[in-house]
Parts: sequence; structure tokens; C-alpha cells
Amino acid sequence: MSASDFEIVAGDDARKDPVRVVLVQEDERPVVDLHEDPMVMTVPHLMVREVITIIAASLFLVLVSILFDAPLEELADPQRTPNPAKAPWYFLGLQELLHYYPPLISGVILPGVVIGALVVVPYFEINLKREPLWTHGRERKLLSIAVATVLVSIFFYVSAPHPVWPIIGPTLFCGGLMMLPGIVGTESRLMDWFARRSLAFWIFTWFLITAVILTVIGVYFRGPGWEFTLPWRDGVY
Amino acid sequence: MSLIDDLKVGATREELGRREALGKMAGMAIGVAGAGTVFTTIRYLRPNVLFEPPTRFRVGPPSEVPKGTLVVMPEQRVYVGHLDPGYFAMTAVCTHLGCITRYMGPEEGIHCPCHGSHFSLTGEVLGGPAPAPLPRLHLEIADGELVVDTRRIVDADFFLEA
Amino acid sequence: MGTHAGSDQTPARPLWLRLVDQVLASRVGRSILRHGYPNTNRNRSLAVFSNFFLHIHPVKVRTEAMRFSRTFYLGGLSALTFALLIGTGVLLMFYYHPSVPRAYQDMKDLEFVVSAGLFLRNLHRWSAHAMVALVFLHMIRVFYAGAYRPPREFNWVIGVFLLIFTILLSYTGYLLPWDQLAYWGVTVGTNMARSVPLLGDEISFLMLGGHQVDANTLVRFYVLHCVVLPLVLVLGVMVHIWRVRKDGGIYIPPEERRAAHRACRVEGESGREEA
Repeated sequence: MSASDFEIVAGDDARKDPVRVVLVQEDERPVVDLHEDPMVMTVPHLMVREVITIIAASLFLVLVSILFDAPLEELADPQRTPNPAKAPWYFLGLQELLHYYPPLISGVILPGVVIGALVVVPYFEINLKREPLWTHGRERKLLSIAVATVLVSIFFYVSAPHPVWPIIGPTLFCGGLMMLPGIVGTESRLMDWFARRSLAFWIFTWFLITAVILTVIGVYFRGPGWEFTLPWRDGVY
Repeated sequence: MSLIDDLKVGATREELGRREALGKMAGMAIGVAGAGTVFTTIRYLRPNVLFEPPTRFRVGPPSEVPKGTLVVMPEQRVYVGHLDPGYFAMTAVCTHLGCITRYMGPEEGIHCPCHGSHFSLTGEVLGGPAPAPLPRLHLEIADGELVVDTRRIVDADFFLEA
Repeated sequence: MGTHAGSDQTPARPLWLRLVDQVLASRVGRSILRHGYPNTNRNRSLAVFSNFFLHIHPVKVRTEAMRFSRTFYLGGLSALTFALLIGTGVLLMFYYHPSVPRAYQDMKDLEFVVSAGLFLRNLHRWSAHAMVALVFLHMIRVFYAGAYRPPREFNWVIGVFLLIFTILLSYTGYLLPWDQLAYWGVTVGTNMARSVPLLGDEISFLMLGGHQVDANTLVRFYVLHCVVLPLVLVLGVMVHIWRVRKDGGIYIPPEERRAAHRACRVEGESGREEA
């Protein structure tokens, strides 16, 4: 069939009898509503929510700005490096990695890999299907997860001058949680929930926990000389 | 599409009253916040400290202004003169469009380079487009020195006796 | 007609509201707002699609899409902090000179001399931190919802770059106060760029406008922070939101849409009985 097989007939008065025609060709994917979703009018229902959100969030930020002053230290002095010299908080995960790996790896390759991995997320079948992990093949899956977890942990144990615990920890944690429903079964609701998570879920969660732990260590647990400190004992540097 | 239509559901009198009261309160709160924002922003944009030359400044002892001439103060854009009636000060800013005039000597008087206005030593317009004479500034003697205040404009007959 | 509970029960409109009505109904008023008061569904629809600022919305929205616990409004809140940052940032520019050491003196002036200067700087700084965190959280939420599925794949990619540009904006702004924190924070960061193989020194030289962080770097970061990156981000956000709208609004997983549909039918039937 092609578009020429159809004849579009409109009334004499287009204003009176408007005709709207959508021609769908083979490869196109128009957004079609198959279900009758409950809907409300944007004005006022969504508008009111937006206004309330804007007011609440602005009020919160204004209160924070009244209560807490932005930091300002003395004039920049290129002769005197403060100890420790910390980057802004969102880079402290990377700076923490600098403690383990040379700058080429922790400052260029790893961030590049992370950005690349994020960009290609929607182009991988595993991220699109997101099938529950524990539907079939229990023994083989248990084995491959265990092997993968151990290999990744060993890699981060030996690849740096000292073991990269902030990555090994989340690896073992996520690997363990992944295997748990396969070992203890899915009777409890929690285990059932874990069992229905997909591989994509676990990889992203692993990345997230690692990033958060690295950043928290960089922000709170590193002092002069990038030595490990305890914030409740020595304060935050 | 199944539209949940609140207009068809209807509302009780109480609900309507509550809706109106809440709407009024919200409107007033937004109004107060908006007015506060505008006020604070304008207040913020008015600088509290300026890095301009001071409006009151010392010229030096009266003896440094010879009779019959003008002394030019380029930084403050001011002439200080000494004529028969006494000492006086006036602005060097042309009354036409704000250019800085030039003192050409006791005979030539004052010329504006921009549009050719011509003033006498006392600031009266002799020619050109300038609409008014150069305004006179307040002059006084403090600690034996002449002091000009560029904020205080005085009449053309203001002279400080020697 | 079922609007409100009937005209006899509605309280009389106060004088000033009637004046507003009259202005809106006049020729000038109709030329500005082309629709009437939004008390009928027709006028409510007109209010959305005849308004430049509202036209990013459809006329009707799914109740499922509006639920707070679905999105936590993270995308909207990111946009809000961005708007706050533009507002406070423009105001701060009125007092800021991007030169050494005047930049630091301007910080001190904002803190101690300028009315509300400290407040505006605080609001700018905290909103910036909030924006980085909100954009990151937004990405996490979108991932767990699986909202990058076709046809939204490329919008996810745009989103990743918006996150990178948000971090770059915050990072370039970090240098501008020219205090010890700014100077060394940026020095540590730019040293990492130096370790890029082959091109590292060239990249760092271009970025800093020299071999170390100094007055050249300040002007570069200032221009990037105040002009280049905000323009890129505004444009990117526009495309990002436009694509969400074209792809049918907030992503709702198909299984949840079916569930919501069932719930609505039950609710709708009981609602009709009450009415």
C-alpha cells in the first residue's frame, strides 16, 4: 500500500468539517495511545502543582541562603598550596581515584569510560529489555555472577599499588545481593523484588554506589596529604 | 481519553469558599514576595560605595590663582578663576552635550571642542549651541586653602572676596 | 451547565476582580490574552496552546504523569534552579570585574558593602550545588524508570551532555571568586586535563590561556561561565524538553499505564453514581 491508494475527501467548508489525516509509513513510529489513561486539564491542575513546586523550592533555597554563607577564603596565592587542596565536591570521587591510579587512568580514561557508557545506555538490548535476572538457568547464572564478581574484585585488588576498597566493597555488595535470590529462593517479598531486577539495574546500581562512596570518602574522610581522617574526630577538610 | 472533569463534579459552598480563601492567600503571598524581590533588587543595584573622585576637594592657597586667569583642574573637571570681584569656581563640562571645554587663555576665553560653543572667562555663552552659561560651584576657604564642592551649584554672582 | 455549584451560590466578585475582567475583555486585553477566563474546558485549552510559556504542555495531562512520587519533579526542579542561577548570576555580574585581584575585592564588597550582595551570592552558590545534584538525581531517576527506551534514546544522550555542561558551568564558576578555594580547586582539576596523552599540554594551555591558572584563565572561565555555557545549556534544555513533549510527555512504563487505566474505570463509575 502507498499513500496514493487513498483519497482524502474534505467537505466544502474546511472550517466547519476539519479533517485531520495521519499517514503512517512503514518505518515510522508515531506515538499512539492504546489505552484510555485518566487525564485532567493542564490548566489548572498541572499549573497549580508547578506553581507550588516553584514556590516551595525557591523558599527552601532562599532560607538556606539566609542561614548559611557561601565559603570565601583569603585571596588566591599561587605560592602557597593549601593542604589538602580539594576540587569541588562533584570531582572528589575522581580525586579520590587519583590516590590509587595515575592521572591518565583516573582523570581521563575512567571518566571517559563512564561518559561513554552512559551515552550508549539506550542502544543496548540489555538496557531495553531489562529482563528479570532469576527467571531461568539458576546454576549457570549463580556461577557466572560469582565468577564476574570475584574477577572484578581481584582486578581492583591488584591493579593499583594498594587495593581499591571503595570499588571492591560495592562490587562484593552488589554481587552478593544479585546472587541472594538464587541461593535463598524468592519466598519473601524482598527476595522476590531482588529477583525481578535486571542485569542493567544491578550494573547501574553498582556504578552509583561506587560513585557515592568515592565521593563521600573524598569529601569527608580525606585530610592533609590525602591521609584518611575521621570527620567526627578531625573535622572536615 | 478519559478526562476527569472537575467542572462536572461540582463543589459544595464550603469547598468554593475555601478555594477562594486559599487562592486569595496565595495571591497575596506571591504579591508580597514579588514586591520584596523587586525592592531588594533595586536596593542591590544602588551602589553603597563609589570609587569616584571626591566632590569636595582642595585647590590650594588663593595665591596660586593669579588675577585675571583661570586654573584648570582636569581630574575634577573644574575651573577656578580670580577676577575683579574675587575668586569663583565653575564646571568645565559644556552645558550643550557634556564635552569637556578647553581654557584658551584670558583673551580667547573657553572653547568647547565638540560643537564650537564659546564661553567667557566667567562662563557666559558668547557663541555656539550651548543653551546656558557654565554653572558656578560653591567655593570656600578652609585652613588657608580654596575648597570646591562640585555638588553645590551657586548663583552667577557668587564670588569669594580675596 | 455544571460549572461550580451554580451562580446563585457563588459569592459576588469583588470590584477589583471585575475591573480585571473588564480589562481582559477589552480590545487591548483580548489582543494580549486571546482566551477568556479559564473557567470552561475550552478556555483552559486555549490558555495552554495560545500561550508561549505554557505550550510546552499538552492541553490535558495523564494523572499518572503528574504523580510526585513518579518523577519527584527532578527535571522541573533542575530547570528551576537553572532559572534562579541565571537571575542571580546576571545580578552578580553588575558588580563583578573578572580581573586579578579586583575579582576577590568584589567578593568582599558583595559580602560587606552591597545591599543583599551576600544573600545573592549565597543563593547563586547553593543553587549551583543544588542544580548539579538535581540533574544527577534526575538522570538516576530516568535510568531506573527505563525512560530512555525508544523513541527516547537520543533524548537520554542529550541529557547526559546536559549533565556534563552543568558540571562545566559549575566548575568554571568555581574559579571566579579568586580565593584560595577557587584557585587550588581549579588547579587540581586542570592538572588532570594535562595527563591526556599527546594533547594534554595543548588542551591545558588552551583552557588556561597560559601555563598556570592566572589572570588569563579568569577571563576565559568568566566568558565561558557567563556567555558560552549558559547559551549552550539553554538551547540544550529547550531541545530536551521539546523532545519529551513530542514523545508523548513523561515516560510511563506500559504495565503501569494499564494498571492506571483499570483504576480509573472503577473510580469513574463510582464517581458517576455520586454525581
